[in-house]
Amino acid sequence: MLFNSVDFAIFLPIVFILYWFFINKNIKLQNLLIVAASYVFYGWWDWRFLSLIILSTVIDYGVGLKLKGEDRIFRRKVLLWISITFNLGILGFFKYYNFFIENFTTAFSFFGAEIKPNTLNLILPIGISFYTFQTLSYTIDVYKRKIQPTRDVIAFAAFVGFFPQLVAGPIERAANLLPQFHSKRKFDYAKAVDGMRQILWGLFKKIVIADNCAEYVNLIFSNSTDFSGTTLVLGAILFAFQVYGDFSGYSDIAIGTARLFGFNLMKNFDFPYFSRDIAEFWRRWHISLITWFRDYLYIPLGGSRGTTLNKIRNVFIIFIVSGFWHGANWNYVMWGVLNAIYLLPLMLRKSNRNHIEIVAKGKHYPSLKELASILFTFSIATFAMIIFRTETLSHSMQYISDMFKFSPSQIPWQGDMNYSTTLILVFVFIIIEWFGREGEYAIEKMGLNWPKVVRWLFYISITVITFLFSGTEKEFFYFQF
Amino acid sequence: MRRFIIQLFIFCLLSLSVISLIFLKADGYTDPFYIRFTTSKQKNLILGTSRAAQGIQPRFFKEMMDVDIYNYSFTIGQSPYGRTYLESIKRKHNRNEKDGLFILAVDPWCISSKNENPNDSTRFRENNLCLGNTTIVNMKPNFQYLFNNFSGKYFDLLFNRKKTSMFLHTNGWLEVTARMDTAVVKERIDYKVKIYREKNLTRYKFSSVRFDYLKKTILYLREYGKVYLVRLPMHEKIMEIEKELMPDFNTKITGLIPLSDGYFDMTPYNEKYEYTDGNHLYKESGELVTREIIHWIKTQ
Repeated sequence: MLFNSVDFAIFLPIVFILYWFFINKNIKLQNLLIVAASYVFYGWWDWRFLSLIILSTVIDYGVGLKLKGEDRIFRRKVLLWISITFNLGILGFFKYYNFFIENFTTAFSFFGAEIKPNTLNLILPIGISFYTFQTLSYTIDVYKRKIQPTRDVIAFAAFVGFFPQLVAGPIERAANLLPQFHSKRKFDYAKAVDGMRQILWGLFKKIVIADNCAEYVNLIFSNSTDFSGTTLVLGAILFAFQVYGDFSGYSDIAIGTARLFGFNLMKNFDFPYFSRDIAEFWRRWHISLITWFRDYLYIPLGGSRGTTLNKIRNVFIIFIVSGFWHGANWNYVMWGVLNAIYLLPLMLRKSNRNHIEIVAKGKHYPSLKELASILFTFSIATFAMIIFRTETLSHSMQYISDMFKFSPSQIPWQGDMNYSTTLILVFVFIIIEWFGREGEYAIEKMGLNWPKVVRWLFYISITVITFLFSGTEKEFFYFQF
Repeated sequence: MRRFIIQLFIFCLLSLSVISLIFLKADGYTDPFYIRFTTSKQKNLILGTSRAAQGIQPRFFKEMMDVDIYNYSFTIGQSPYGRTYLESIKRKHNRNEKDGLFILAVDPWCISSKNENPNDSTRFRENNLCLGNTTIVNMKPNFQYLFNNFSGKYFDLLFNRKKTSMFLHTNGWLEVTARMDTAVVKERIDYKVKIYREKNLTRYKFSSVRFDYLKKTILYLREYGKVYLVRLPMHEKIMEIEKELMPDFNTKITGLIPLSDGYFDMTPYNEKYEYTDGNHLYKESGELVTREIIHWIKTQ
């Protein structure tokens, strides 16, 4: 079920009403409803793959309980590896099987050995990269004795399958989300209103910004050889806004929906396009995934400690794995490598934590230096995204080399389509994001001090504009991961 | 909680009101069908496919007969004779009035189907198109139609209008403006003939179910007034294809004539008229054809 669908617009109020009006006195029933609703939400896409979620839930729940009563290190390790093998196993099978088979075949052919590849026609279960990482973090945290395993199987199933963030995150940690399933929830008016506001902003990002940009992005990237350098630059910039609007929009809807049910999910995007260097960018982009890799991969590898060589190795590992997480494609790996190259100088000069606070905090405008840093960071992040968006490395190279056939006098191609509306929308979007950058999301505090009528007009305007730009329901970009 | 629900309700209501106002901007440029679902129920109807939609102009009925007739014809995809069209006709037709005038355009295509089994009505494509999914046909703005059938973004209702060569009048006539210089017309006709020969002729088959529904439509409308069957003119090359598709079309229609108030076959005069693409009458010829039909009706 898509957040931007009529189905979800019917589903959400039904679950909300049942949750708060009929079973609001009983946590267990509320959790059970969340499990049932989450399975319906997921099964709407393809009920067969529910079995993977259920299996993942059962195995990690069991492993967690076993770990609690087990002190012998070897046995604890075995239990941990059962969970890792299962979760990464299903992920690897569905997501990477064909990729490895094809690449092995190519490699063997290179040495003269002819192998008939036995690839499978696999459907990638939606959200598999997200929920496997979430449940894996639970087992690892229990293993490390950072959290106590839960005995409540319903609460655990709700944690694994929680529908707002099941298919595209934020990838939650058990330490944050699981205890919320154990505590009594009381309807909080302010929290619910805030949730609605965040949902509205998420829908705006998805439908108005991302989907509009996508129209031109798809056209430009699919026929890149036909376009001028300036058009390709425009295509890359629009893609940057597409992917941000799409993914952060999804996260906003997920976080807002969770708030309607009394839950707090972690922030997933923190205005990354206002970052002053690439290290800050990666602290603000897909936070739940990046911190996952930091905690469960980068730090165990030694992080920024050890020799220079170790630091370089660790940075490359985390970015390559992060790239590979996005999909079985060399483009994602190269995208990771390029970002590691961007980050490395900052890491080695120990200047990767120069910008912790949001830019120009408490001020209306950035300084010229800050503006230049923001534009530079945005440019290199966007440049890397070209590799992310193109389908093959040769297409990436072609796109990039054509992009530099750049003549400032060339107006980006317009053809039959008028992208000026999209550019205006993106501009307005940047302004709103800028003035709302100190909040959890752009419109969190916007208008709270305005007269009620004006505030409502503002929200109604966003709703109507979002509706006006809605057309055919379009999938979220990150569903493919 | 109550406060939240009430506020949310008011918010939705206000937003919906603004959206309704925007929907009111939908007009004849919106698409070739929308307006027909926004006007009141009608006493007199012109029925058929796109030939009738573009070719029969209601304003001349007013001028020459003082009759307000409504063109409720769509396309070969939307409105071949069948259950879906008949149900929609019943919804659009004002049953409280008698002495109506009904003109049914007939041709081999509107009693054929391109399904493998031409009589499997469950698979008729019009079932899932606008006539099938719009049960309210006289509401303005028509939310049901716009939600289910409007392609593109609702934003286009406000802007990007008037870029189309088609305009749907409030009387249901679809006005098409096209360049009519000889070379362009020839190109369009050749293209249409190619499509009809290669794609349509090879797939369309006579459907006895559709034929039965044409009969049912005539019988239903006969209770409320006079029903005339008309075969509109077309380019000779298209005519040849139609003959190949259904050589016995006239025989088939002859069986229906007694149920109606008359049949006017205009195909002997095909050469008298101009066509935008061979299949559809150009608007000036449409006027002539409409006047001919009116003259013929008056003589009946």
